[in-house]
Amino acid sequence: MRVLWFILSPLIALAVGLFFLGLSRRIMARIHWRYGPPLYQPLIDILRQFTQKSVSHGRLFDIGIVLSLAGSIVLIEFLPFGGVCPMSSSGGMLVILYVMLLMPLGVALSGGEAANPNTSIGISRNLILAMGYELPLLLVLLALMTRYETISIVEIVSAQREAGPAFVSFPLVLSGVAYLLILPAVLGVRPFEVVQAPQEIASGPVAEYGGPYLALVTIQHALSLFIGTSLFVNLLWGGASNPVVLILKMLVVFVLVLFVNASFPRLRVEQAVRYLWRWPSLAALAGLILVATIGR
Amino acid sequence: MDRNELMKWIKAPAKMAHKYSLNAVYFCTGCGIIEVPPTITSRWDAERFGVVPSATPRHANLFLITGYVSVKTLRAIIRTYEQMPEPKYTVGFGSCTINGGMYWDSYNTIKRLDKYIPIDGYIAGCMPRPEAIFVAVTHLWTLIDKDMADGYKRYRKNYAAYRANQEMVLGKLEWPPLFPKETGTGTADGAAMAMDVASHTTGRTG
Amino acid sequence: MNLPLAIRLGSTFQSIDVESGSSGRLVVQVPGESVVPVLTFLKEEGYGYLQLVSCVDWIDRGALQLVYLLSCYTEDEIGGEEGSQEVFVKTNVPRGRASVPSAIGVYEIAEPYEREIHELYGVHFEGHPRLTPLFLERDYEIPPFRKDFDTKQYVADVFDSVPPVKEEG
Repeated sequence: MRVLWFILSPLIALAVGLFFLGLSRRIMARIHWRYGPPLYQPLIDILRQFTQKSVSHGRLFDIGIVLSLAGSIVLIEFLPFGGVCPMSSSGGMLVILYVMLLMPLGVALSGGEAANPNTSIGISRNLILAMGYELPLLLVLLALMTRYETISIVEIVSAQREAGPAFVSFPLVLSGVAYLLILPAVLGVRPFEVVQAPQEIASGPVAEYGGPYLALVTIQHALSLFIGTSLFVNLLWGGASNPVVLILKMLVVFVLVLFVNASFPRLRVEQAVRYLWRWPSLAALAGLILVATIGR
Repeated sequence: MDRNELMKWIKAPAKMAHKYSLNAVYFCTGCGIIEVPPTITSRWDAERFGVVPSATPRHANLFLITGYVSVKTLRAIIRTYEQMPEPKYTVGFGSCTINGGMYWDSYNTIKRLDKYIPIDGYIAGCMPRPEAIFVAVTHLWTLIDKDMADGYKRYRKNYAAYRANQEMVLGKLEWPPLFPKETGTGTADGAAMAMDVASHTTGRTG
Repeated sequence: MNLPLAIRLGSTFQSIDVESGSSGRLVVQVPGESVVPVLTFLKEEGYGYLQLVSCVDWIDRGALQLVYLLSCYTEDEIGGEEGSQEVFVKTNVPRGRASVPSAIGVYEIAEPYEREIHELYGVHFEGHPRLTPLFLERDYEIPPFRKDFDTKQYVADVFDSVPPVKEEG
């Protein structure tokens, strides 16, 4: 049964991620007072991209996006999905912290091969933004690890099922607020959409990806949406006892993030890092210190 | 979606996907580009047709040549067109691509775009309204359904003739032939074209 | 019409012609060699902004006429009545040997205008650092904006002679 969940959970994550992508285009269109594409538009896009014939820039160019996708799929195995978690007994949050960096690094690897100045600029912005949100994210995770005295996500979820969700309990509410403030950066939506800025740097790191590579990038984007929201719901909103409730909670978080996306312009990368290292980091640091000194 | 449409999806999913997911290269070639922002924003929403502007030619499969084409722009258009992945569709927008339009006796614009890159269809007008763009998109869908939108296949088959025409107007071209076997040179190969830097699509630096 | 300025101009330079143009603007006709001294004089008078350099092809007189439009930013620098904020400086050059000293030493902004006029009319500017084409890519025997350039013949020769691509089968 566990083996089945190993195969099934990336597929379900992909389905949910694609649904989120389509939903984001539809909701943004409705906010703009227009109609928007059908909900299954990302599926059509991926099918079209797989059937196109594009050029490759070398062996490293092919490997980079595969590495990024591999990082995402591995990460999904570590996340609890309702009542099940395929890799529940190995390391939990520490593994997540470092595997999360494989996603921008893979794209950086292939982008370096592409020899396009827009790609280089996009990659540097991607890595700088990752550095920006890794600091408050680390502080939030440290606070959670200290509070629940474990590094396993499954134990955090079950502790919250007894005691209530983490972001309404006193010291961790600061960590919850900090995580909410950096969630748009983790997901790559406005105001932190600087990485894939179409008008400025010709879509940044993915500028040279044609045909099938672009399909893999879209899949990777869908998976990273799933990972970002699922991590938040599992760590701070108590997870769920079955997958349906988990997906509903992720939907609520995602729609809130979409509303933030609709209301903000794009920050420059140094403005973004300055913001991310200021108030969210301070809130997360305060949460960590309070948890370490006061306890529960 | 009725049964007819569902059968089409099952029989030829790739063709249907190409119809309903047209990414247009966001390349403003001439004065017709003023009609594109109203088309893709809220008033006449092009995204419900699946038409979305894309920032790089590598992501795109629709090229709208909007308006007159001067000799310098032709250089950039050819480089952009050759970077797009196949299958790709080109639509000439406005009467300047058909026969020169308002600039029919100009010393610096090309008169018939069809001689230099293959075109799948034209939208007549000066400038066509956004509703005309939507009619053109639905016509393109019909052409794709009947397998008649084969501009890229014609380009590959008659590449020698197209390149000869391009060299007649532009002089010596800086990039190697895209399909070397068809021109008979056989020395360059596709990977050389792949190292084309996308940011140099403006052609000669000005 | 800025009368004191007209009198000063007339007394400083010989062989120039000062008259009143539209809305009281001064029009100064100078021969080709003394363009730069007149421009320097007017710049010191307070006309610190060269708006444009333009060219007119008077084919029946056999001359190309260069027009420099000078203006000043505020009226206090100049004084005088209405219309004295702008001054035209015009010079005629023969069509066969069109050559004029460049105005870059006086107004640096003249560089792209002179480059464009060289490309489209064939006027050579002595002392211009970079007289390369700005818009055009091909070579033209007669510069395209001259009135004896036959555009229809050029289009028929160059663009209509490109054969359409024929499909076989």
